[in-house]
Amino acid sequence: MALVLPPNVSEKNFQKALDAFAGVVGRQWVLSTEEDRNTYMDIYAPGDGDDHTPSAAVGPQSAEEVQAIVRIANQYKVPLWPISRGKNLGYGAAAPRMNGTVVLDLGRMKRILDVNERFGYCLIEPGVGFFDLFAYLQEHKIPLWMSVPANAWGSVVGNALERGYGYTPYGENTRNICGMEIVLPNGELVRTGTGAMSNSPCWQLFKYGFGPSWDQVFVQSNFGVVTKLGMWLMPEPEATLGLNIQLPNPDDVGWAVDELAPLRLNGVIQQSPSIGNSLRTAAVQSQRSQWYQGEGAMPDDVLREVLNKFNLGWWGISLRLYGYDDVNEAHAKIIKAAFAKHTQKEFEVVKWHRGDPIANSGAGVPSATALQIINWRGGRGGHLGFSPILPPTSEHVLKQFHSTKKRYEEIGVDYYGSFTLFERYTTNINMMIYDRDDTAMTTKVRSLFKVLVADAAKEGYSEYRTHLSDMDDVALTFDFNNHALLRLNETVKDALDPNGILAPGKQGIWPKAFRGVRA
Amino acid sequence: MRTKPRFRSLAPFMVFALTMSTAIAIGMARPGFPQVKRVDYSAQQFEEGSRLFHARCGYCHLAGGTGTIMLGRRLGKDRALLESRSDLTSEYVKKITRVGLNSMPPHTRIEVPDSELDLIAAFITRPASARAQLPPDGAAHE
Repeated sequence: MALVLPPNVSEKNFQKALDAFAGVVGRQWVLSTEEDRNTYMDIYAPGDGDDHTPSAAVGPQSAEEVQAIVRIANQYKVPLWPISRGKNLGYGAAAPRMNGTVVLDLGRMKRILDVNERFGYCLIEPGVGFFDLFAYLQEHKIPLWMSVPANAWGSVVGNALERGYGYTPYGENTRNICGMEIVLPNGELVRTGTGAMSNSPCWQLFKYGFGPSWDQVFVQSNFGVVTKLGMWLMPEPEATLGLNIQLPNPDDVGWAVDELAPLRLNGVIQQSPSIGNSLRTAAVQSQRSQWYQGEGAMPDDVLREVLNKFNLGWWGISLRLYGYDDVNEAHAKIIKAAFAKHTQKEFEVVKWHRGDPIANSGAGVPSATALQIINWRGGRGGHLGFSPILPPTSEHVLKQFHSTKKRYEEIGVDYYGSFTLFERYTTNINMMIYDRDDTAMTTKVRSLFKVLVADAAKEGYSEYRTHLSDMDDVALTFDFNNHALLRLNETVKDALDPNGILAPGKQGIWPKAFRGVRA
Repeated sequence: MRTKPRFRSLAPFMVFALTMSTAIAIGMARPGFPQVKRVDYSAQQFEEGSRLFHARCGYCHLAGGTGTIMLGRRLGKDRALLESRSDLTSEYVKKITRVGLNSMPPHTRIEVPDSELDLIAAFITRPASARAQLPPDGAAHE
């Protein structure tokens, strides 16, 4: 991709900024060749992703270097796009929202600064990957469990800052954040919570500090660069008990949600059960062309053939109980009785006890095998995720499921969806898998995405996270009092970042300097 | 409808890589073709390359990984595991790491710095004599 400069920055000043960055981090960590730029493009973009082209990348190794880079960026008015490891796959990966932005790659900052076994937390830098932290805990035999997303290639900090999910009782990753260190857009270094005291022993123990609590202000935001993050980890339980079941019919998701949601709310189930259509299993184990080569969405009868081959139902449900053996058994009995009202099918039971191999424990064990789904269509595969939040009731879930599936079929994309149940909401993640170089297909996917955002907005459902290209559309669906929340965000943005150098356009929040770029 | 070739940026390089591999195989430099500078690596460097391969590439390229599954589908099971392959050149390994191939994305020079990639590529393309010295499954590092 040819060099695209940031808006309103001359080539001469851009070069001066890169030279100044090199003075801070060393020439080898300023990446500005065409090949370098291409490595920071959205690797799963539907198409070339050239609406989100970086102009260069710079890789600091410390918070002090981040401060120096931010000050230089202000001097030359060069915008920066901070990434942790750049694996925000399906949502833009490492690429910036605005063309010409310089990627601030924190991947070299990968220190595990503290792991506290007694209180169950760690303090880490943004470059620490799930695999890195897992290896550290294993190597030091620390009995703390991580919450790990389906694809674990990315950063622990980055995932929590984008509100990613895992599958243990600590699965809502952003909720585990306790204390941050942040470089503000003017280069100042701040610590949140009790970390604002220079000698507090409670930085990773107490989230709130004194006065306003700031951690969530820096989540999915462009108000600062997080350079250290405290994260709660789960003490290893005595035992776990996994329950898996396949449900044969599309509408089974309704009663399953109505049975599981109250048990999730009252604590019988402490992690977030996932109800996924079985295409996700089929897409890991096979490719579409083995089953169907026709145009449009794969017909229901072909899908049924795929499911029969792998002995899958229309939906697969996985949930797991964590804690003491006797309590798990008692809770399993309650869940089985709830399901027995609706189906003859029995749960597959997977038991684990402390000391057994960790692989089947339900601990967060990192894996990147889920990436296999992008090969469903062949070619240079990619996916987008459409992820609205709904109340966990059959009424909402069935309506949303049917309307989404209908849209997939109208536009001709294979339906791939799941519902994950939290105490008071469900996240409905819908994947669109495509061959990036098939223009007809990626055009369909883009139009499907826009329709789904609009449909969800009519029902009052928001996305929990979205791709770079749709951040403005999704931000605009938050329309109460003429978009008062967006105006608040942009008032804060302008106060903290008058030159607009940090992640312009992130989550639809545009600084004054670049507001004209908004879609 | 496919509107452009999938590997347009890679195609010229593949010809280049094959040429290089031939030049190495017949042990001579030919006029008009790039000279291949031979670098000798120590057993210790191969071991470090193995460690880095497991750490940086192992997400997808060990047994059961998504890269191994895809290579198995495309080239057959005997060519699915990268660390068992003997038909790759160092230049090819390095180029694919930087530009990607099919569903394998390109990797930045921060995720895999050039100095590390040199050792990883040396490990993947190590001579038969060095293969005997390392456990094939990388067990030395686990």
